[in-house]
Amino acid sequence: MDTERYNRQLILKGFGEEAQQKLSKAKVLVIGAGGLGCPALQYLVASGVGKIGLVDGDVVSLSNLHRQLLFTTVDIGKLKVDIAAQRLNAINPNIKLETYSQFITQENALEIFSEYDFIIDGTDNFESRYLINDGCALLKKPLIFAAVSGYEGQLAVFNIESSGGEKTNYRDLFPIQPNKGEIPNCAENGILGVLPGIIGTMMAAEAIKLITGIGEPLINKILNYNLLNQQFYEIAITSSPSGTYKLPENENEFLKMNYSLKSTPNQVLEIDIKELENLQKKDSTLIIDVRETYEVPVLNPLDYKQIPMSVFQSFLNQDIEEENIVLLCQHGIRSLAAAEFLHEKYGDKKNIYSLKGGVIRWKNYFTSAS
Amino acid sequence: MEIELLSFGKIAEFITIKKLSIDGISDTDGLKKYLEDKFPQLSEIKYKLAVDKQIIQKNRIITDQATVAIMPPFSGG
Repeated sequence: MDTERYNRQLILKGFGEEAQQKLSKAKVLVIGAGGLGCPALQYLVASGVGKIGLVDGDVVSLSNLHRQLLFTTVDIGKLKVDIAAQRLNAINPNIKLETYSQFITQENALEIFSEYDFIIDGTDNFESRYLINDGCALLKKPLIFAAVSGYEGQLAVFNIESSGGEKTNYRDLFPIQPNKGEIPNCAENGILGVLPGIIGTMMAAEAIKLITGIGEPLINKILNYNLLNQQFYEIAITSSPSGTYKLPENENEFLKMNYSLKSTPNQVLEIDIKELENLQKKDSTLIIDVRETYEVPVLNPLDYKQIPMSVFQSFLNQDIEEENIVLLCQHGIRSLAAAEFLHEKYGDKKNIYSLKGGVIRWKNYFTSAS
Repeated sequence: MEIELLSFGKIAEFITIKKLSIDGISDTDGLKKYLEDKFPQLSEIKYKLAVDKQIIQKNRIITDQATVAIMPPFSGG
């Protein structure tokens, strides 16, 4: 053992050589090298966890850098797992690092999970989160869950039986996967860079506690953290009444689960700014801005009817006269969800479009037009 | 009776009150209905209630001065 490297935790009361040995034998999988995954990886690697797996199919982009501190400006466009592996290897070359340059899917999840003792979910979408939850529940793998929104974070440990015999998973909190557009993500809602730094570091702390048996991990608890007032609020989770949700019971059922809430492409047409401009010239076109009232740039209300996503459901009760309906939002994600709602209502009776990339991608057009 | 409200995430944007008088409401089912009527946006998203730091899985009596947390799922990472 590299006693010099781990000296400060080896001399720690209640930790010592025994805990360090446990760390060196542990195998931890981190899914997502993003805001949560980066700090979790740095501390797990530095602490001496024996084997660490990293799953991410994405490349580094400029808007990652304010919170994903494993990456630097020169890494933009490169595969996250490659850069992460270089940096992590430099931090601690004794760790066996396994990288998977792919996103987690129903097809690859169970095989990858089975190689590890603990799974850390640092992904950024509900599709992956429900898939990971169900896969971990099926394989009885301890899952360290965290998610962030705005200035707040949630942290929990699932699939570990408490001393009272209770075992919970994410579906005991939220049994049904939210619809697209129901809950804003980081790209839509924004995120203060330091927040996932704090929460991701707490994920690493939970993993180290679980591996070494120290302290009280958040088993059957969800910790809510608010950065603005430094408040922590812990809620005890109990199992849902039976029948509230159904987990896949075998690999076949897992493969048949429907996590992808994407629409089929012929339902809603995603258009670019040129097509929007053409539609704008037609008489029977309604353009709806589904962004919230505080979002900028503000568009001219005469050209763009504002119906924020938060009140969109009640708007659906009204009837629209126009034949062409174009939805737009900041990045083109919520507008797609809104367009799907309208498509559900009108079917093929109306032409429904969503502006791909949203106001941000076509900023020049909107700021000069309004 | 009066209860304390604690809203998280997106919910805190439209439920900004911290205290609520709920005369005539005695349990979590009643409270849910009341909140969804008063704040229609709540009925459009998924959320979970906790009373005095215990997650609510089935209808439960609410007592005076209880703290009710309203928590949505987060997906960001």
